[in-house]
Amino acid sequence: MIAEKVYLKPTSVEEAVKMAVLHHDSFRYLAGGTDLLVNKFQGNEESNCLIDLCEIEDLKTVIKHGDPIKIGSLIRLDDLKTHKLIKDNFHALVKVAHEVASPMLRKTATIGGNVLCENRCSFYNQSEWWREAVGYCLKCEGQICIATGGKKSCFSKFVSDTAPVLISMDAQIAIVDKDGTSIIPLESIYTGDGIAPRNLSKTAIIKSIILPSNRHFNCSFRKLRPREAVDFTSLTTAVSIDNKGKVKLVAGGVDPKPIVVEGTTKDDKNELIKQVVKKARIVDNDVYSRTYRKEMITVYLNQIFSEIGH
Amino acid sequence: MKHIKLKINGKQHEFLVNDHEMLSNVIREKAGLTGTKVGCEQGSCGACTVMVNKEPVLSCITPALRYDGAEITTIEGVSTNGELHRLQEKFVEKGAIQCGFCTPGMVITALDFVNKNPNPSIHQIKDALSGNVCRCTGYKKIIEAVAEYAEEKHTGKLIIKKEQKELKGTVGVPRPYIEATKKVQGIADYADDYQLKDVLHTKFVRSLHPHAKIISIDSSEALAMQGVRYVATGKELPITFGVLPLSQDEEAIAIDKVRYVGEIVAAVAADSEEIAAAACKLVRVKYEPIKAFLTIDESLNDIGTAEKIHNTTKFNNNVHKKAELRFGDQQQGLKDAEVVLNMDFEMIGINHGFTEPHATTAFWDENGLTMISATQVTHYLHRALAKTMEVPLSRVRVIKPHIGGGFGGKGDPFAHEIIVAHIARKTGKPVKVRLSREEVFLNNHGRHPTKMKIQLGANKDGMIKVLDANVAIDGGAFGSFGVVTSYYNGVLLQAPYKLDNFGFVTHRVYTNKPQCGAMRGHGAVNTRFAVESMIDDIAHKIKMDPIEMRMKNFLDPNSLTVGKYRITSNGIKQAINTVAEQSDWKNKHGKLPKGHGFGVACGFFISGSALPIIWNELPQSVVHLKVDFDGRVLITSGANDIGQGSDTMLAIIVAEVLGISMDRTFVIAADTLITPVDLGSYSSRVTFMAGNAAKDAAENLRKEMITAIAKKKNVPEEEFIFSENKVFSNDKSVDLTWEQAIEILTANRGAVSVSGKYISPKLGGDFKGAGAGLSPSYSFSSCVAEVDVNVETGHVKILNVWGAHDCGKALNPLAVEGQLEGSWHMGIGQTMTEEMTYYNGLLVNNNFLDYKIPTSLDTPPIHTNIIETIDPEGPFGAKETGEGAIHAVLPAIANAVYDAVGIRITKLPIKSEDVLRLLKEKEKVSETSKVEI
Repeated sequence: MIAEKVYLKPTSVEEAVKMAVLHHDSFRYLAGGTDLLVNKFQGNEESNCLIDLCEIEDLKTVIKHGDPIKIGSLIRLDDLKTHKLIKDNFHALVKVAHEVASPMLRKTATIGGNVLCENRCSFYNQSEWWREAVGYCLKCEGQICIATGGKKSCFSKFVSDTAPVLISMDAQIAIVDKDGTSIIPLESIYTGDGIAPRNLSKTAIIKSIILPSNRHFNCSFRKLRPREAVDFTSLTTAVSIDNKGKVKLVAGGVDPKPIVVEGTTKDDKNELIKQVVKKARIVDNDVYSRTYRKEMITVYLNQIFSEIGH
Repeated sequence: MKHIKLKINGKQHEFLVNDHEMLSNVIREKAGLTGTKVGCEQGSCGACTVMVNKEPVLSCITPALRYDGAEITTIEGVSTNGELHRLQEKFVEKGAIQCGFCTPGMVITALDFVNKNPNPSIHQIKDALSGNVCRCTGYKKIIEAVAEYAEEKHTGKLIIKKEQKELKGTVGVPRPYIEATKKVQGIADYADDYQLKDVLHTKFVRSLHPHAKIISIDSSEALAMQGVRYVATGKELPITFGVLPLSQDEEAIAIDKVRYVGEIVAAVAADSEEIAAAACKLVRVKYEPIKAFLTIDESLNDIGTAEKIHNTTKFNNNVHKKAELRFGDQQQGLKDAEVVLNMDFEMIGINHGFTEPHATTAFWDENGLTMISATQVTHYLHRALAKTMEVPLSRVRVIKPHIGGGFGGKGDPFAHEIIVAHIARKTGKPVKVRLSREEVFLNNHGRHPTKMKIQLGANKDGMIKVLDANVAIDGGAFGSFGVVTSYYNGVLLQAPYKLDNFGFVTHRVYTNKPQCGAMRGHGAVNTRFAVESMIDDIAHKIKMDPIEMRMKNFLDPNSLTVGKYRITSNGIKQAINTVAEQSDWKNKHGKLPKGHGFGVACGFFISGSALPIIWNELPQSVVHLKVDFDGRVLITSGANDIGQGSDTMLAIIVAEVLGISMDRTFVIAADTLITPVDLGSYSSRVTFMAGNAAKDAAENLRKEMITAIAKKKNVPEEEFIFSENKVFSNDKSVDLTWEQAIEILTANRGAVSVSGKYISPKLGGDFKGAGAGLSPSYSFSSCVAEVDVNVETGHVKILNVWGAHDCGKALNPLAVEGQLEGSWHMGIGQTMTEEMTYYNGLLVNNNFLDYKIPTSLDTPPIHTNIIETIDPEGPFGAKETGEGAIHAVLPAIANAVYDAVGIRITKLPIKSEDVLRLLKEKEKVSETSKVEI
């Protein structure tokens, strides 16, 4: 028999969380679904219950109460540019969102979904048949990491493009769970474990992404990919400098979590860049070699520093 | 299951849908609106785009339940009461539609984009379309269509090109394909769009090992599953097959052993695809893995005590074919040449990347087997089915529907076709299969991975003295077209340059990977890349402009090559002069700052093979015409239109000969019951061969008409004029409308049928292998590319491609341009981003996200030039245009990289990291030499 599937469409965050609790054995929240559904077709995602958040209007607003700007997690990537608050304050976010996937995907994919995008690896993002043939890797209940030829850790890549830019601007997230709402730094949810790359409770929902508007970030980024559209990142680097001289460097695509290095404008930028390179655990699970991606971290970060005038 | 309501194209529907069912499935399978296509099942190709509540949505990754109550517009709903939307008209008019499979998604995407961006720039249009893959057009004409629609919408003024009003006649007039309006509305049926009653769906169990003995297969659990109707295994289909008579080495389902990861080991037919897929997981197969051969080198060498991939190979290795020909004296040539270059090249395999996945439906009735399949060659499939099903040829009918691109990848008879034919017979029901994109990649038949050692010698005056190529190609698990590929790697180097001392040897090896076969530019693309790169290198060494060096060596029209190819028309000089002038070559090549470069290259190709691959005395092509009282000329031909426009080409030729308008013709093609044999769409043969057959048929019909009219009017049989739907003589003693002429023709006789044929003249030398690459005519082409190389990252960006192609005569310039632009786009893909990568024989990048076909943003401005030389034997002077253009673009890009940064590319695709590494190595060398100085 083929297992019975369930699809639910709550209209409030609270209702969604209740549904999740009820189906806690086998469910996933669905935002845009552009990542999750492909994983489902490939058998990497086998939940019987999909809780589609698409009708929760509370998650689609951009608001400013005092300093912080709260970006609803269900704002579509393509719509970020239509919100004046975002466009005026966080231009780099609008630009990086435009670098994600393709125009059609950006019309469905959401910013919340993008920061929670599942880690990727050439040996994991494959059909069930393929993974059986290769012998299953750690991320799908196998014994070893195939990309590294046998290591006991998973190095699946963190591939969100928006998260490095958001983190560089000290983004926080408002999380709703069965116990209520909490606000935590975005970067704190990433574990660095390729198998379980996020530490969010399974029933938690990101309600909004919160960015400070009074720090006037000077922010830019670079993305490495073979084509100018469609491709996931092989390396996304972002740097923000705020109005008090705080410098934050972030690199995605080169580790199971975003690499974050902080400093000030008084620091030697080369030293900051070296720290990023040192922290990155890059393996050969990408179309570009680990050596090249490592080398490009320095090149890209230097380019960004030149661009933003540091 | 849940009940939903959807208003699709204004019509209210109610459906029961599965909770996790995708919107594309509901639209296609439940609403029957098959204009919405599924090409990748992961949102990477855009073919499934529909409008939902006025927003574009990728329906293949959208749950149907998300949009309960929504208003949906599919491609079928874009036109109004049969009137095309203005954007659709632009797609048709501009030639933006070839195979048409991407068209529905493109149109919906573009409509939404222009509505929201009324005055877009070209870059914005490219950006907007960058998630919609087109493999045929190179995007150029699509972008033009969208831009012109946007301009009209913005300005409120219709743009009508002058020449469209003024052009008369048929040959040489740019026109859309005859089926373009059908394709642009999503109502052209492709193989997966046929919905037969009570059909069974098939899924395959595929091998997990590259090389393994099959110990046992237990399908009892699968058979017991509710809804499963049949499980087929290899022993039921013992007869091997293959496209070449020499290589009948393929089993439809592996019998005793598997030869690649992904080979079919069992097939399950069930009431639904979902059930069939679930049942496949219950088929237990036990294997005994044996040593696998995954590289060219492993398979070239003696394999010791290991088991060969095929026991039919001659020696104790896995060499499938050795092809060798030698002309003149290469050793002497190498001694005589003042500059000798010896270089190694390595090219990875690539896939055709057509947007329509394979699909087939088969059923048996009182007429035997009928199959509707996405095939480039109905004729070879017809033969393979009769052979493997063990029935007479007269009990098999193969029908080709509209095809979503082929490029060589739908040219063989395939295992899945034989399997569904078999299961349909066993179950007495229609049986269908559609391959996933991953399965399409496993099926492969793409360009062979190639290793080459080439020696090229020339004198300091630029004259080429010798060429010697040692080539090894990786054929994968089976033969396919590989014997031909082996020869083409060598023989297709003997032009466009004069060579006195020329030789090659090619070894094609079997490996335990998906098989390779024919792909656009068949066999010649990789060796052409090597030779054109080396000519560039020698030109630099002897300090001669690479164009000047080529000009010195070109073969003349009406000449013979060293291997006895008869060159008739030859526009290579016009081609290279055109791209040189247009690109301002003289002021650019070698004169730009570091990082910015120009490169040039040339190529040539056959206009069909002069010899059939299955030896017989049938003509290469036959075309029938039938005309009845209504005056419409029915053209029937076995030639397969796969999106390249061959149906339109046939109609153009017949209309031209008979002087009638295109709407007085009707084409039925590639149905083996109805249409006479044509050998199909491969080796760029259709325009030359089927075109000549159509011309012959039309001339025969004209003769019949002249005889009938002369008799009726009691005038001598003279050459009447057939023009503008009239038949008349100079003295107007005969002055008839077409309909009046047909009335005379059919009087006391009824419908008239005539036949025309094409048989290639006897060509070539009298030595073994002389037939390889022989063609009644050859095309010639040249490209200049402009690149920017980022010396910090190694990234290469193509800024422009100028191309010129000698197609003899452009019967339909719009279609010719489309073929050229598609060829150059495909060549850019192989040069820059496309590759098939394997891990232990397992294809890693088996989808449209990881297999990187250039998007609209990755495609540079392409400047298209048609060179006409009026071939003496081509129909109205025409020769091939579908493949030959690809050859020059790859080396032109690589040569531009050399001009930009002094790095010689010997591996494709050009990877940023390789460029950066080579740049550093080069710097080191120059630093060292500075120290030495």
